[in-house]
Amino acid sequence: MSTELRRLRKLLMSNALSTFGLVTVIIFVVAALLEVLTAGKITPYSPYAPHFNQANAFPSLGHLFGTDFEGRDIFSQVIAALPVDMGISIGVVATSALLGIVLGTLAGYFRGALDEVIMRLTDMFLAFPQIIMSLAIAATLGPSLLNVSLSLIVVWWPPYVRLVRGAVLAVAAEDYVSVSKALNSSFLYIVRKDALPNILPSVLVYATTDIGSALLTLSTLGYLNVGIPPAMPELGRMVSSVTYNLYLYPTQVVIPALIVMIMVAGFSFLGEGLRESLDVKLRPHILLRGRGLEKLVIDQPKKDGGVGTTPVG
Amino acid sequence: MLVLLGVALIVFFISHVLNPNPALLWAGPKARPETIKAVAAAYHLNDPLPAQLYYYFQSLVTGNFGLDPQTGRPILSEILFYAPNTLELVLASMLIIVVLGIGLGYISGMRFGTKIDSAIRIFYLTAWSTPYYFGALVAVLVFSSYVPVFPSGGNGTVGFSYTSITGIFVLDALLQANWPALQSGLHHLILPATTLALLSFGIVPRIMRSSILDTRWSMHVKAARARGLQEGEVRQKHILRNALIDTTTVIATTFGWLFSGTIIIEQVFAWPGIGQFSYTAITSDNYPVLVACVFVFTVGVIVANFIADIIYPLLDPRITLGEGG
Repeated sequence: MSTELRRLRKLLMSNALSTFGLVTVIIFVVAALLEVLTAGKITPYSPYAPHFNQANAFPSLGHLFGTDFEGRDIFSQVIAALPVDMGISIGVVATSALLGIVLGTLAGYFRGALDEVIMRLTDMFLAFPQIIMSLAIAATLGPSLLNVSLSLIVVWWPPYVRLVRGAVLAVAAEDYVSVSKALNSSFLYIVRKDALPNILPSVLVYATTDIGSALLTLSTLGYLNVGIPPAMPELGRMVSSVTYNLYLYPTQVVIPALIVMIMVAGFSFLGEGLRESLDVKLRPHILLRGRGLEKLVIDQPKKDGGVGTTPVG
Repeated sequence: MLVLLGVALIVFFISHVLNPNPALLWAGPKARPETIKAVAAAYHLNDPLPAQLYYYFQSLVTGNFGLDPQTGRPILSEILFYAPNTLELVLASMLIIVVLGIGLGYISGMRFGTKIDSAIRIFYLTAWSTPYYFGALVAVLVFSSYVPVFPSGGNGTVGFSYTSITGIFVLDALLQANWPALQSGLHHLILPATTLALLSFGIVPRIMRSSILDTRWSMHVKAARARGLQEGEVRQKHILRNALIDTTTVIATTFGWLFSGTIIIEQVFAWPGIGQFSYTAITSDNYPVLVACVFVFTVGVIVANFIADIIYPLLDPRITLGEGG
């Protein structure tokens, strides 16, 4: 296990893209956790207290990200918003993944009528344009953190069911599952010992990138002022509350939006890196690159991008 | 068809069942009791749920969504006015996505592990990570304010009298050979369409790249080379064509995101489309309009998937229509 972890770390650090992702995600998660654990004491200023004599300041050493139209420190506001943005995105993805694992396993393992019902239901929810459906539900339910999470989960779970069901179908066809069944193992035992270890990596990879997507949609809801309770710090809403300042004070608009972008990029770069690391086909191409060992790889690509006709070496 | 029925049911559930008191929401928070009663009667909100369901399906099937409670005009005609504008934006973006997405993904995959590969990946992953509102605001800031090459909003119809054939301004202008109108339309279209395309297209080059990587070292490609086929022919017929199958699926998926993206893009660029129309409906609790909009968007997504299903057999002779679909 530990060698496997070490290899994973090596694969992840092997290119700048996934290293960036890993570092970014760790920084933001730690910042969000600290903010929650210290009950908001890590922000240099109060994110809410206005200082009108310092309104609309551009970024400086005193105010790293500048101040908004009421003189509130934008850096502190960003930190205060992290737990909400991070928490909901991770929560939505985790719940959806769990739902997907349960429904997908049931559908893929038992097949038949149950499979049919679950998959038709999944298809229906899959047909909704995400933001529009979330908007409609969040607007109907009224603003609260729970409601906004629910509105996201409703459109978020279907891909997980598809993903898990496909993986379960593949695993169920394996000999070791037939053997396990022949030995009279229970459904739960087979799921725990045979299916889950094979499914979890791909779910994890998908979920990593997906946290970024959830964050995008959540901050878009915030930007449109739907679902997030008033006075709750949220990055998307920070952007929309100062949009009218776009031409005069562009940094006020750009900075919170840029933070969202960096977080999303962090998660998607990490997910992309994980996916490639776990892809057995590409693994040798990554691990051996740049160490003079390329000839070990069967049919390695030529420098010019064409495929070499190098024989197996 | 079954999917459509289910979608209709879910929308009904959200608009009629989830709200404790829809009449109050529809009439507005400050409405007098008589108004609320009138609204409830006009939209059958006092009837038992099955009856409401009946009226709801009747309105969907006939396409008669009733009157917009806020403007007093038929919702159907409003949608028919806004939808073509959105279609114009979405189709223009789709064109950019198909060309750029497939092109970049192909280059990236064929140059796996090189600097070009990394640069392309950073480009599309970053574009994908950009929130719509951010990309759109920056596009307006840069291209309409700092370097004013494009107008910051509108779809260019102002000041032109034209007869509507398709409702899509650029297409109408082209069909009637109205060159100044066409120029104005395109001039207004380029910035929002490009923004929408770049912010939504990330997954297309990504899947294209990974399908290329899946294909280019596979046996059938080797076999093609062994048979002595020209390199160009191998790439075009054996690698590119194979990789396009998966890519077609995600292009269809991208349609859903384009529709979602239009809500923000139309907002920022003051584009008179259905995204802005539905957002106004949401913020003003205009449920009859919202129901119609969600339904139209969903039909759009289903149609996009249907078109993808038609394209598959053209790309892969092993797939035939009706099989497993």
